[in-house]
Amino acid sequence: MIELRNVLFRYAEGAFSLEVPALRVETAARAAAIGPSGSGKTTLLNLVSGIERPARGEVHTGGTRVDALSPAERRAFRITRIGFVFQEFLLLDYLDVRQNILYPYRLHPELRLDQEARDRAERLAEGLGVRRLLDRRPDELSQGERQRVAIARALVTSPELILADEPTGNLDPVTKNEVLDLLFEQCDALGMTLLMVTHDHALLDRFTQVIDVSKWGGTP
Amino acid sequence: MGRHAVKDSLYLAWRYLTHQPAKTTLLVLALTTFLGLPMVMRAMSSVIQRSLLARAEATPLLLGKKGSSLDLVIESLYFQPKGVEALTAADVTEVDATGLAQAIPLRTGLMSRTFPLVGTTLDYFSFRDLSLSSGRMLATLGECVLGAEAAQELDLGPGDAVTTSPSTMFDLAGVYPLRMRVVGVLAQAHGPDDRAVFVDLKTAWIAEGLGHGHQDLATAAGDVLLKSKNDVTTANAKLVQYNEISEANLDSFHFHGDAERYPVSAVIAVPANEKSGVLLRGRFLDDSTRQLLRPAQVVEGLNDQIFRFERVLRIIVSTVGAATGLMFLLVMLLSWRLRADELRTMERLGCSRFKAMQIMGAEVFLMVGTSVVAAALFGLLMTQYGEGWLQNLILRGS
Repeated sequence: MIELRNVLFRYAEGAFSLEVPALRVETAARAAAIGPSGSGKTTLLNLVSGIERPARGEVHTGGTRVDALSPAERRAFRITRIGFVFQEFLLLDYLDVRQNILYPYRLHPELRLDQEARDRAERLAEGLGVRRLLDRRPDELSQGERQRVAIARALVTSPELILADEPTGNLDPVTKNEVLDLLFEQCDALGMTLLMVTHDHALLDRFTQVIDVSKWGGTP
Repeated sequence: MGRHAVKDSLYLAWRYLTHQPAKTTLLVLALTTFLGLPMVMRAMSSVIQRSLLARAEATPLLLGKKGSSLDLVIESLYFQPKGVEALTAADVTEVDATGLAQAIPLRTGLMSRTFPLVGTTLDYFSFRDLSLSSGRMLATLGECVLGAEAAQELDLGPGDAVTTSPSTMFDLAGVYPLRMRVVGVLAQAHGPDDRAVFVDLKTAWIAEGLGHGHQDLATAAGDVLLKSKNDVTTANAKLVQYNEISEANLDSFHFHGDAERYPVSAVIAVPANEKSGVLLRGRFLDDSTRQLLRPAQVVEGLNDQIFRFERVLRIIVSTVGAATGLMFLLVMLLSWRLRADELRTMERLGCSRFKAMQIMGAEVFLMVGTSVVAAALFGLLMTQYGEGWLQNLILRGS
């Protein structure tokens, strides 16, 4: 569950602010954050994940008050409890697909890269249709395949929340729907909450909750 | 937990470095040079100084013509041609006649293929404690014994033949190459003897044209003889000259003139005891044309020069090393800057700053570690196998 109460966020330059009086996303919900560019969609994800800290208010993610954590605790919280999917995939060229999926395990000592994790990576790759690509490098994959790998990386640690920042933004319409189907399917199967930023209004009827961020943020 | 974290960092660093083989190799090579050069320099310098001194200390006294004592020692002990002025065979007799020391003559300066040809007596082999690995010792004119490395590089053994390489090869009026029979190969001695071709002193004189063998004048055709007067017969160029000494023509080889005036490059004098050595040195102290020196003393002087040179080199190497280190740092910083996206991804995923630094540090560690190992291996190899090569380099250039 995500809950924001009376949150105010301002960048240091002061040109942008986001003010969220109240927001609640239930566990296992599929929520879409919409709004024009610069309205604060990504900032909302950053607040929920603890990348940014609000000037005021409370941010509760999965029962943890994220804004009260220290920077190091927020990092640890992110990597252990949240999965990220980015528009630009952000896969590492020097690792093959298998190692890209398992990448979060290499970054935090609490995440133990054991056989169970490896099996989970294989199962996710199977479910997302990239199992045959496990030994390939990202630069050998299509855009759609890369995003599937990025989704597998987000899911592999079994986080309770998936934050996706326009994950279908770089994909063609057919691939877009395929990737979204897979993302929903996996989140449903694993009981994860999904908060996804999108510009694509045609997709909105597939979400259980739509959050219009434009009413809260922008440049004065 | 900590061990796994370090292992993961090393793994990621390793995968990144192997993904950039050209960059990694260049950086490792630069670091290896930076780290290895002083190490190799130090190791080599001590090995060279030690090995040069060891041979010099094993040679008690050396008699030669007045001139550069260093050139005399280098040509006589290490067989590097320096063009030293020659003594005569009479000088060998003179040393022997004193009864104070055993005289071992050396005739150097000639070559056989690319190896120095050394004319001496059998005493030289026992003096240097050289033993045969195959074949036998020199017995008659025209025979040679090869040092271990010379035999290996020329791929020759007992029963084969090797020719001299006179410096006047292309001079029709000069000395022609002499074909010599290989009768033995010496066991490895780990010194200049390994790369020498040894012959009897008289064979060396024949090789340089001071003695020769030819067709019997009595059986030569009439048009070969030009004139004969008072036991002196003059023949023309049609007279067959032998370029190989065989059992059949051995007797025809002879020397003209006074054998006591034939050249000897140097004489190793092995005194019976310390007192004899002092007495012998006393005899040559005021000699105006000859010098009797202690090779160890000369090599110590050379070592001092090497040491001084090494100090200057160390300063240069340190400066170049500092520049290399800074360049390495710059390349790493630029590389991390180019990987800003990756660092941002790590940050967003929740990777700690410490972990990010650990991964970067692991890259540096792997490269520096590889360079240290490579430099140490290079130093070890140079110390083990580069001694002869460097010895030649130093002696040729001195």
